[in-house]
Amino acid sequence: MKVLVAVKRVVDYNVKVRAKADGSDVDLNNVKMSINPFCEIAVEEAVRLKEAGTATEVIAVSVGEKSCQEQIRTALALGADRGIQVEVEGSPEPIVVAKLLKGIVDKESPDLIILGKQSIDGDNNQTGQMLGALAGMPQGTFASEIKVEDGKLTVIREVDGGMQTVSLNLPAIVTTDLRLNEPRYASLPNIMKAKKKQLDVFTPEELGVAVTSHLTVVKVEPPPERSAGIKVESVEQLVDKLKNEAKVI
Amino acid sequence: MIVSQHSAAAAHGSIRRRGIWSPRPDLGIFPESPLLSPQQLESLASLVDEKGLLTDSESCLRYGRDWTRVHSPNPAAVVLPASIEQVQAIVRWACAEKVALVPSGGRSGLSAGAVAAQGEVVIALDRMNDIRDFNATDRTVCCDAGAVTAQLQEFAESQGLFYPVDFASSGSSQIGGNIATNAGGIKVIRYGMTRDWVAGLKVVTGTGELLDLNRGLLKNNAGYDFRHLMIGSEGTLGIIVEATMRLEAQPAERAVMVLGTPDMASIMEVLRAFRDCVRLEAFEFFSEEALAKVVEHQGLARPFATASRYYALLEFEKSDERAEVAAMECFERCVEEGWVEDGVMSQSLAQAKALWRLREDISETISRWTPYKNDISTIVSRVPSLLEEVEGLVSANYPDFEIIWFGHIGDGNVHLNILKPDAMPMEEFQARCGSVSKGVFESVARHGGSISAEHGVGLLKKPYLAYSRSEAEIALMAQLKRVFDPAGIMNPGKILDA
Repeated sequence: MKVLVAVKRVVDYNVKVRAKADGSDVDLNNVKMSINPFCEIAVEEAVRLKEAGTATEVIAVSVGEKSCQEQIRTALALGADRGIQVEVEGSPEPIVVAKLLKGIVDKESPDLIILGKQSIDGDNNQTGQMLGALAGMPQGTFASEIKVEDGKLTVIREVDGGMQTVSLNLPAIVTTDLRLNEPRYASLPNIMKAKKKQLDVFTPEELGVAVTSHLTVVKVEPPPERSAGIKVESVEQLVDKLKNEAKVI
Repeated sequence: MIVSQHSAAAAHGSIRRRGIWSPRPDLGIFPESPLLSPQQLESLASLVDEKGLLTDSESCLRYGRDWTRVHSPNPAAVVLPASIEQVQAIVRWACAEKVALVPSGGRSGLSAGAVAAQGEVVIALDRMNDIRDFNATDRTVCCDAGAVTAQLQEFAESQGLFYPVDFASSGSSQIGGNIATNAGGIKVIRYGMTRDWVAGLKVVTGTGELLDLNRGLLKNNAGYDFRHLMIGSEGTLGIIVEATMRLEAQPAERAVMVLGTPDMASIMEVLRAFRDCVRLEAFEFFSEEALAKVVEHQGLARPFATASRYYALLEFEKSDERAEVAAMECFERCVEEGWVEDGVMSQSLAQAKALWRLREDISETISRWTPYKNDISTIVSRVPSLLEEVEGLVSANYPDFEIIWFGHIGDGNVHLNILKPDAMPMEEFQARCGSVSKGVFESVARHGGSISAEHGVGLLKKPYLAYSRSEAEIALMAQLKRVFDPAGIMNPGKILDA
């Protein structure tokens, strides 16, 4: 079974991001970039499938500028077998990424595609679903557990109010939720091996996809600062403040 | 302690002991204290506002000790000044009333330097916690003594700068306490100790006089530098009330590695190899026993599946791709030489943090075994020999004790922790550890090392000071104390006998 995993280069989630002074975007100057945490979970799951003997090959694909090869190498160090970069400038929209991934799917014909449910920069939560539609594949989103048995994929999904189990025919798409697994550390010997693994680069033209844009960012601004709290002296004062100041009771 | 007997006690070399104060909740309301007269309390209360004096048993317990649990806290009262003038007034009051003062910061000390077990008045700097007057040209900022270390770190970050002194307790420890103990921590190999970051210092001496030391100057050779005398003096010469701290440019991206090694000698080789090829920000070590405890009790993942005897955690500046390549080549060489068995490198800040927790959570994790702690150092090249000698000594004489080693090996500083066997009563454990100490410190002395690398002396290490300092030095320390604290009210009994 061939598994394709999508990984995205995003601002590290431990970085306190700041808006640019002109409000055009988040300031990414000298900011640590890492693999999107949900994508990291996707890689881990694919590698576990390979270690269990279910998957025979794991391919990590990323859409982005040349710098995203760093995140592909991370995926390779975690255990993916080879990498593919689709070279695109700037930050393409989910529909563009989905179309580019569809191009790779057509080339590679994977049996399973695992993506993060969303990236922590755009928070769109669209790419996996769009790819499902474009490729005509069933999808199991927000997965907290997956199992491959007899050519079928069982996905336990985290939904409002509980867990839902779905059964999908392969090839299929899975998007990961936080509880699917806990990713491992990249071992140094594997980081070194990753440098020698195959990494192919494609352009959107080669995949027959036009990179277009449908959205314009109007403004990026930090959330309003919270004012300092106070310590109340008594329950009565608390109730009074909740009633008359906060007006929540 | 009410110091009317101060000189007599000193003459007999003993400390006057009182019974443990049993709290009386019905009486423990301000302003009452079983150890101060109502007149004394009233005059003390008049020096501060209504929030400035606490005498209830809960506050006395909280403010009366640091992280050590050897002594029973028994302060007469807790006073929380809100200004330098109030600190001066309290010190003058203490002089007049002959009442001993124990300064208290974040109370995360490990040598009982901030313990008030003898009926002293605790002077806690918590309310003086402002950070102000940032100077971008000088890269300095003025901190009140009670500002929390993490607060300064965050302030520096908000200015695009960096305050590099960092340790596990930075979320609670205060700048004043850091300076009074010359706190070290995990970045000493690159940035030095707290001492290296103090550009100016305001100190209230034992007479209530305010000294404004060095005023932020980089170059100042006009006479003795009292600033450096005050740093690390553990409140015995004066109370630090304000400091001008230096800030540094933020380092480039950093990466964390954890490497498994078969023995101590290999760790030293790894240190040497990495020092030659990358800019080390930290070089720490811990034993498999320490890792096993942290993994079990903190729910953290092992860095890699195989267990090694010791682990090195190193952080380096990944300024560009070359730095990473150099680090990888160095790792390769260490593996070929047999110094390293396996290793991981952080791929994100979250992983860097998680790897650091393997080291930083050790102290908290093992605190449930009320460990006997030693914080010893020698020059880096002698560490393996010191470690081997101490380990041989403990395992030969106390085979039932479990030893946990960790520390700042890149600084020649190791923390020896002996866990109390569950079945052993505390008193017996302490008595037996007391005899361990002698052997350990003899070994430290043979290695030309220090009995307290970064925790200070306080009460816990006082009996062993002579293993690291000569008789002449200790006599001079006592004379110096009398110069700055003629009434003997400043944290008496810490470092030296009162």
